[in-house]
Amino acid sequence: MNEENQVEEQPKPLILEKLEANHADALLAQDASRGTVVVVIHKDQVSAVLEYLKTDPELAYTFLVDVTAVDNSQMESELMQFDYARFMVVYQLYSFQGQCRLRVKVPVHENDLNIPSATGLWKSANWLERETYDMFGINFEGHPDLRRILMPDDFEGHPLRKDYPLRGRGERESFNFEKQNV
Amino acid sequence: MGLDFVGQGAGETDGNIITTTIDKVVNWGRKNSLWPMPFGTACCAIEMMATLASKFDLSRFGSEAIRFSPRQSDLLIVSGRISIKMMPVLKRIYDQMPDPKWVISMGACASCGGVFDTYTLIQGVDQFIPVDVYIPGCPPRPEDLIDAVLQVQQKITSGASPKGVEVVYE
Ligand code: SF4
Repeated sequence: MNEENQVEEQPKPLILEKLEANHADALLAQDASRGTVVVVIHKDQVSAVLEYLKTDPELAYTFLVDVTAVDNSQMESELMQFDYARFMVVYQLYSFQGQCRLRVKVPVHENDLNIPSATGLWKSANWLERETYDMFGINFEGHPDLRRILMPDDFEGHPLRKDYPLRGRGERESFNFEKQNV
Repeated sequence: MGLDFVGQGAGETDGNIITTTIDKVVNWGRKNSLWPMPFGTACCAIEMMATLASKFDLSRFGSEAIRFSPRQSDLLIVSGRISIKMMPVLKRIYDQMPDPKWVISMGACASCGGVFDTYTLIQGVDQFIPVDVYIPGCPPRPEDLIDAVLQVQQKITSGASPKGVEVVYE
């Protein structure tokens, strides 16, 4: 038999084993095939799972690298997979102890844009969630100060949504330059 | 500079007196001591820094005294993208500079928005502040910025008022 054809059996990452054992009902999908472990979590249990990931002594994902979102409204394949949830909120985690990364994705439906804030677990979530709110309109419940962070305060709409026109809706022309607090 | 030496024959004043006009002397001084206010918001600012550093050395042309206070400067170099949220800041800085003041719009983004024809970007700062010299390029080479400074100097020598001056008193 040709040696190259032998597929080496990869051991299942510890994180997936532990999640399956402790939060199997929250786990919608998982993937570890391309070097990064990705898990898709049900929105109702996102707080519990994130807390578990941070506090479990074996996992210890103590560092929240990024929070962002993806608008899948034009990605039919993604939409079908997760019950036509338009947005996918993405958390990037890092564990200094295990020196490994984890991507946690949470499907969010357009008619219910609320999701629990992670500011109680990681302070770094504060500005990252503000940015996600600013760009996509995701409402992080329990966030201490959910304001726009990049766009001007009186801006309307959420420009990273796919249905937002690239040239805007005339805010370049109508922006009130005199009234701004400089 | 319009200098005239007085006294051709033999005598004490021979060649020791020069005549000119006060404007020319003042402009000569202004031209050789431009104090730039850098407004670097993006990649063009990196080229501006290179221009100011020793390799290209803008100080050869008398403009090396970078001021980070608009009240002490007379040349505004806008280098980079300006968003609608940043424009009031730029306008405020321009307004704070004492007259006479000149403006260089460096690079495609500052001059016309460049490739960023998007909802948040000003399509040319000259919609809001008067620009004296535009530099094309993305980013322009440091030589281009030096050339723009020389053009500003030429403008000053020629006695032309800056674009920003609305009323010219004769
Ligand atoms: S003109 Fe080019 S180099 Fe300059 S700020 Fe714009 S993108 Fe950057």
